[in-house]
Amino acid sequence: MKKSIGLMVVGAAFVAMSATGCKSAPSAEELKQLDDLKAEVSSIEKEINARQTEKAALQRAIAEKDSRLQQCLKDKEAVQQHIKGMM
Amino acid sequence: MKKAFDITLRLLLVAIAISVAATSVYSQEMNKEEWQKQITDLTTKRNDLKNKLTAAQSEVAALQKQDADKATALKLCQDELAQTMKANSAADESAFASSVDNPDAKLNDLSKLSNQDLYARRAELDSVQAWIDNAKKSPFSAVEKYANRLKDVQGRLDALRKSLEQSIASGQAMQTYTVGTWAKDRDCLWNIAKKPKIYDNAFLWPKIWQGNRDQIKNADVIHPGQKLKIPPKAELTKQEKSALRSYWDKKQVAAAPTK
Repeated sequence: MKKSIGLMVVGAAFVAMSATGCKSAPSAEELKQLDDLKAEVSSIEKEINARQTEKAALQRAIAEKDSRLQQCLKDKEAVQQHIKGMM
Repeated sequence: MKKAFDITLRLLLVAIAISVAATSVYSQEMNKEEWQKQITDLTTKRNDLKNKLTAAQSEVAALQKQDADKATALKLCQDELAQTMKANSAADESAFASSVDNPDAKLNDLSKLSNQDLYARRAELDSVQAWIDNAKKSPFSAVEKYANRLKDVQGRLDALRKSLEQSIASGQAMQTYTVGTWAKDRDCLWNIAKKPKIYDNAFLWPKIWQGNRDQIKNADVIHPGQKLKIPPKAELTKQEKSALRSYWDKKQVAAAPTK
């Protein structure tokens, strides 16, 4: 009885130790590679956000210029008609 | 023997406990599989983001070009408009723009007046109208922002005129005249009506008389300092003609030799 208990304990110890031994940790170099990749992703995300902001600002500027251009063309036409009418 | 077995057993139990604890601590850190998975996921994400960034950069470049094209077209249009103006207008734009402020200020001023005072200054309404008519000849008046301002000035002027006409019709607005001395001003109803600023027509004097019945009992007697209301210039009404007839009748009676 005592012998069997002893065997069970030894078996359990073996299983526990072998389970621990199966999982190897990444090396410091690999961890640095992971950190670098994370930093690169974060940097690209920031750059995309900056481009989106720039895009929105450009779209507003274009819309504003377009509105002024349409007004200018309208005024030009009206002035030409006015001059014709005054002649 | 038994004691040695017990000791061995206890040592083993301690060893197992330590091993399990170590496994537990270790499992909270990353293992190689997890590292590999993260590397794979992040690499995929990075590649996607790089594609997105490239697309965003292209869009920004296209928008920058579009913006520059619009700026060029706008500049061209503005230059052409300025040249057209220069060739067809004596005044420059800033002069025209500031000139619009004058009738604007004048109308602000006039709109604050009482009906009576507005009536007295009604000639200024005509001067604003003359300014508008003149401004409409300038090509700047066709530019929408100025066209709108002129329209606004005209609208306000028309509203003031209408209000003045209504107050004249209701008798609220009348010009006034303060009687001077005979010695200095030769003021009598005839002479007052003859003044260019009043009616420029002496024969309209009964209008002043009838318009001031409350303070003129005898048409031949007015006093220095009297403030007379001047009704709007118009032909004599039936009532005024009738008053004139009875005035002359009384004069004739008074002039007839007494028996």
